[in-house]
Amino acid sequence: MKMPKVTIDNQQTEVPQGTTILEAAREIGITIPTLCYLPELSANTSCMVCVVKVNGRERLLPACATVVVDGMVIESETEEIHQARRTALELLLSDHVGDCEGPCQSLCPAGMNIPLMIRQIAAGELAEAIKTVKADIALPAVLGRICPGPCEKGCRRGQQDDAVAICLLKRYAADVDLARAESYLPAQAADTDKRVAIVGAGPAGLAGAWHLLQNGIRCTIFDDHDKAGGALRSAIPIEQLPHEVLDAEIELIHKLGADFQLNTRIGENISLEDLRKNYQAVLIATGSAKKEDVEKLGLTWASKGVAAAKKTYQTPIANVFAAGGVIAPSKMAIRSLAQAKAASAAISQFLAGEEIVGETAAFSIHMGRMKNGEIEQFMVHANDSPRQSQVIHQAEGFSDEQAVAEAGRCLRCDCRKPVSCKLRIYSQQFQARANQFKEQRRLFEQQLQHREIIYEPGKCIDCGICIQVAAQAGEELGLSFIGRGFDVRVAVPFDKSLEKGLSKVGHECVKACPTAALAFKDEAAAR
Amino acid sequence: MAEIDVRHVDEIVGRIGCDDAAVIAILQAIQDKWRYLPKAALERVCEITDITPAALTGVSTFYSQFRHRPVGRHIISVCHGTACHVKGADQVTDALRRHLGLSGDNDTDAKGLFTLQKVACLGCCTLAPAVQIEEVTYGHLTAAGVGRMLDDFLELQKRGGLKKSADATSQLEGKDGEIRIGLGSCCISRGSGKVYEAITQTLKQCGINAALKRVGCVGMCHQTPLLEIVPAAGRAHLYAQVEADDVRGIIEKHFKADNWTRKIGNRISRTVDKVLTDRHWEGISRYSIDVRDEPVAAFLDKQKHLATEHYGNLDPTDLDEYLRQGGTKALRRCLKELSGQEVIEQMKAANLRGRGGAGFPTGLKWESVRQQQSQEKFVICNGDEGDPGAFMDRMLLESFPYRVIEGMIIAAATVGARKGYLYIRAEYPLAVRRVTEALKKCAERGLLGDDILGSGFGLQLEIMQGAGAFVCGEESALIASIEGRRGMPRLRPPYPAEQGLWKKPTLVNNVETYSLVPWILRNGAEAFAGLGTGSSTGTKVFALAGKVARGGLIEVEMGITLRQIVEEIGGGIGGGRRFKAVQVGGPSGGCVPAHLADVSVDYEALQQVGAIMGSGGLVVLDDTDCMVDIARYFLEFTQDQSCGKCTFCRVGTRRMLDILERICTGLGKKDDLEQLEQLAVMVKKGSLCQLGGTAPNPVLSTLKYFREEYEAHLEKRCPAGKCRALITYSITDDCIGCTLCARSCPTGAITMRPYEKHEIDDEKCVRCGTCKSICPVDAVKVE
Repeated sequence: MKMPKVTIDNQQTEVPQGTTILEAAREIGITIPTLCYLPELSANTSCMVCVVKVNGRERLLPACATVVVDGMVIESETEEIHQARRTALELLLSDHVGDCEGPCQSLCPAGMNIPLMIRQIAAGELAEAIKTVKADIALPAVLGRICPGPCEKGCRRGQQDDAVAICLLKRYAADVDLARAESYLPAQAADTDKRVAIVGAGPAGLAGAWHLLQNGIRCTIFDDHDKAGGALRSAIPIEQLPHEVLDAEIELIHKLGADFQLNTRIGENISLEDLRKNYQAVLIATGSAKKEDVEKLGLTWASKGVAAAKKTYQTPIANVFAAGGVIAPSKMAIRSLAQAKAASAAISQFLAGEEIVGETAAFSIHMGRMKNGEIEQFMVHANDSPRQSQVIHQAEGFSDEQAVAEAGRCLRCDCRKPVSCKLRIYSQQFQARANQFKEQRRLFEQQLQHREIIYEPGKCIDCGICIQVAAQAGEELGLSFIGRGFDVRVAVPFDKSLEKGLSKVGHECVKACPTAALAFKDEAAAR
Repeated sequence: MAEIDVRHVDEIVGRIGCDDAAVIAILQAIQDKWRYLPKAALERVCEITDITPAALTGVSTFYSQFRHRPVGRHIISVCHGTACHVKGADQVTDALRRHLGLSGDNDTDAKGLFTLQKVACLGCCTLAPAVQIEEVTYGHLTAAGVGRMLDDFLELQKRGGLKKSADATSQLEGKDGEIRIGLGSCCISRGSGKVYEAITQTLKQCGINAALKRVGCVGMCHQTPLLEIVPAAGRAHLYAQVEADDVRGIIEKHFKADNWTRKIGNRISRTVDKVLTDRHWEGISRYSIDVRDEPVAAFLDKQKHLATEHYGNLDPTDLDEYLRQGGTKALRRCLKELSGQEVIEQMKAANLRGRGGAGFPTGLKWESVRQQQSQEKFVICNGDEGDPGAFMDRMLLESFPYRVIEGMIIAAATVGARKGYLYIRAEYPLAVRRVTEALKKCAERGLLGDDILGSGFGLQLEIMQGAGAFVCGEESALIASIEGRRGMPRLRPPYPAEQGLWKKPTLVNNVETYSLVPWILRNGAEAFAGLGTGSSTGTKVFALAGKVARGGLIEVEMGITLRQIVEEIGGGIGGGRRFKAVQVGGPSGGCVPAHLADVSVDYEALQQVGAIMGSGGLVVLDDTDCMVDIARYFLEFTQDQSCGKCTFCRVGTRRMLDILERICTGLGKKDDLEQLEQLAVMVKKGSLCQLGGTAPNPVLSTLKYFREEYEAHLEKRCPAGKCRALITYSITDDCIGCTLCARSCPTGAITMRPYEKHEIDDEKCVRCGTCKSICPVDAVKVE
């Protein structure tokens, strides 16, 4: 039989009879996104994220189930199609009950994966915990003593009794690490032979070096004092932040490869012009500065400090970036660290000749405040002991027992599939707006009867994959759609438990589920 | 949970079957037995059949007919069809909830006597607002009248319920004449059952030698019950709005009793009746509508009866009469003279297009099924008429079952199918009964079976009862439903013509389409093509309802204008209101504004003004109807009926509804209209099937023609005075202090103050409209 010829996004291809548009597109390297399609199952045609335009017709067709016909002209990567896919995602998101990230992580200016750190502490995996922390926070032992902890304001546990003592847990992880003979140093990319001058050895400058060095970029930190640390050393009472803690964390940055040029004042000992000539890029991180000083350096003043672009921290001078108090004074050191991290990303892109976008914010949806009865479901995962210490920044940090107990108070309200969730991946890709169709949300629900699997119906997109997987495996009970229309839900027939419904293919269903509706209670253990 | 005797389940399964296709019928039988689906019964089904728990659960929760909770002794179904909606179904529901003391999710009263449920459409739009309690239908209800209705129902129960009308004979030989009584669902609910009983009694008591004949729908639903007297010699007389008490007078006017003694006896007892009922003989004349009478002439003259040929004088299930009137002539011709291809050429020449809504050329569809190489093929009659505001299919099935069956046999013979199904909504019990009877009689006479009329061609037809899912009107969902699955549409192609029922080539046509086939073959394709416009030939049956003076079931030639239908056939708008729009095509259609009402009824012209032919619902709207509310109403319907498979329909229609609800309650935001419009376009483009693909039409058409009404709502005004959150009731100085309103207010929002001007407490007022409808001096103002 003749092979149908089709055109997809102006590329011609010939495929066997019976091939779907989705398969034909994949053949020629065009990836059509889909949530509800799996090659081994019959097409569910549910998510409609795979829609394409065929022969210019008004109605869009799901690529997963539309069989190609000779002469078809298919459009997949046009603005119209992208908009349709975005709308489909936004509609699914409008009925999604659950968070991608825990609210603590979303509130942390540095976006640290706090829930992961807490679980690692709870499991006694402290070497892992410090990696998690230091991926985003260069000076955790310092911050663990001075941070006002915006993360804790959002902690859901606070709705039950008191927020988890996140800041102290972070300090605990950092202190344990510093006490080790060999403290943690991150892996570094191969040397890029690029050099960056960092002006200021305060929180922003130190953090900038920490992140740039990991990208294989050499850093020289200039400071007019005789010791690094900036405001951390000069403006914080020593009983709150002992200098040996600060010194220890600075020493790690030094060990990672930072070169410190102390007692050097830019504009006096060396000009910004010279730095721009001798280094491929400059990061201004002097902390809060006066207008005339800024202008004297040749930089532009905006309302509160050095003018720098929002996400890239790039100043009007192409290879000069600025972060921290110098662009806007702040009482929170964590904010300076976070900005320096983002600026480092932008500088790395600049040096690599890439488009400068700074850090790309991961897509994240938030379900907001818990409603009546919801917190109780989360409490199942947590111990019900009160907060280990009501006093933040006490001189003594947590003991091992305290830390484990405190970590055990976490409600585990972040998503169990933050990386593999296809809804999140495509929402990011198509820049879906999580609140485009915001309406009254459903109640959050967790089903925990299964030994290993957790089912959160609010995250289900009714795609039908798990139902098919269970039916194919000959599960005696399996899963079924219950109801119709907007209220349709996936559940085990006759109100039986998930354990009974998925007696054979629970693992397969979790893996096939495109969202976190079905997930392993403990991802690590299931591996 | 109460223990149940599972032996009943075993019996049901034994009777119906145990394969997947039997699921719906088994569930229906279980519900017949226990009035809901007890879990133990469902589990038993899985134990003794091959039906999996997943399949059974999926199906039993998909169809709205099935209940999973025990119910009260009687079920009250409040119709929420379009006509009922515009005439106050919400107010009736609220009144019933108050009356029964229901709150929250509760739908059964404390005594367990009544369970209240909303139904999509009872298909008796001319009675709007209508309520069905068990098999009794009440029409033209008001919020104030619900108590009386329940009392009446309970009274009726005490007396043993409505008697089922007996079969009437229709032998005219040796009779003095014939008395015809319309016994369609509408007629019955307006009392024709009682009239029928009164006639039987009168004929017996008076010994009158006249044949009593029940006939199908006459279409003049606004005049029912209709009684027609056809003397053996002389002119026929038609009586409208007849009550049981009038029967004796009418009959005696036309027929002589067989002897004096009886006559005298009658006189005596009738005199007593007269005294008791205080009714005057003269009174009857006001019911008499002569066919030459102007309104009736107007109602009928503009019509053209093809699908409804011999309307009003055929006994629906009398096969002999059907044969006498030319029935099966087309079938015989098709079996003996014409080849399949010739029949198809006739359909093409007639340019018959599908009457289910989309208007696909019937000849092409038949040809495509005929060309398929397959040992097994099927024909299906789509009688899952679910549009709120439409009842054409019900009427055709109730009144002309043989015509539909004949059309199906012809189609089956043409395409080579030997098995077929009539998919009929369970909400149409009378249609199911009549078709069942008709099928039985056809089989007895060799019109169905292994060798039809000695031609060697064989066909088996079976009824499949729907279980309450509008989406099953979509052919791929309908097929899934017959196969015993959830009624979820799938992507087409492949079309059912290639892969239909059990993956075999299947012809799916609508009831009306089939019923036109015999006419075309008897009268010639040219005669059919000569009617209507170039691209839309023949006639179309419409259910005309809403704010017209004369509602009913009409069949008109294609090409007639909407204005002619509304003004000439429907007699214009009742109650001195202004004609505002016609909603054409139900939830998939659009609102055609009055200034565009000169659009002609043809597939393309209607589409151009943002409506569709649809299956044939015409709901006329006047200036008291809010167009935003109409859009919201339809979205509420489609959203509720969405199968839930694809994102655009499942979530998209819901989000559209959310926005509309916001707008109707005065909470609309500035950019809501733009967002609504964009989302509507997306849902239209991206939905998998036509339910979602057309669901935005009512929104888009009202946004196009009545945008200023939407904008008014954003300013918290409802110009039509309909949206409850945006209106207030008050009493003007015209109040005469009669206290009627205070006495009838269901929530005590009006304090009784005789001879003084009354006032309405806005906090307590539930905007039910009772005071306004009851005020003798029109002193209740709505703003």
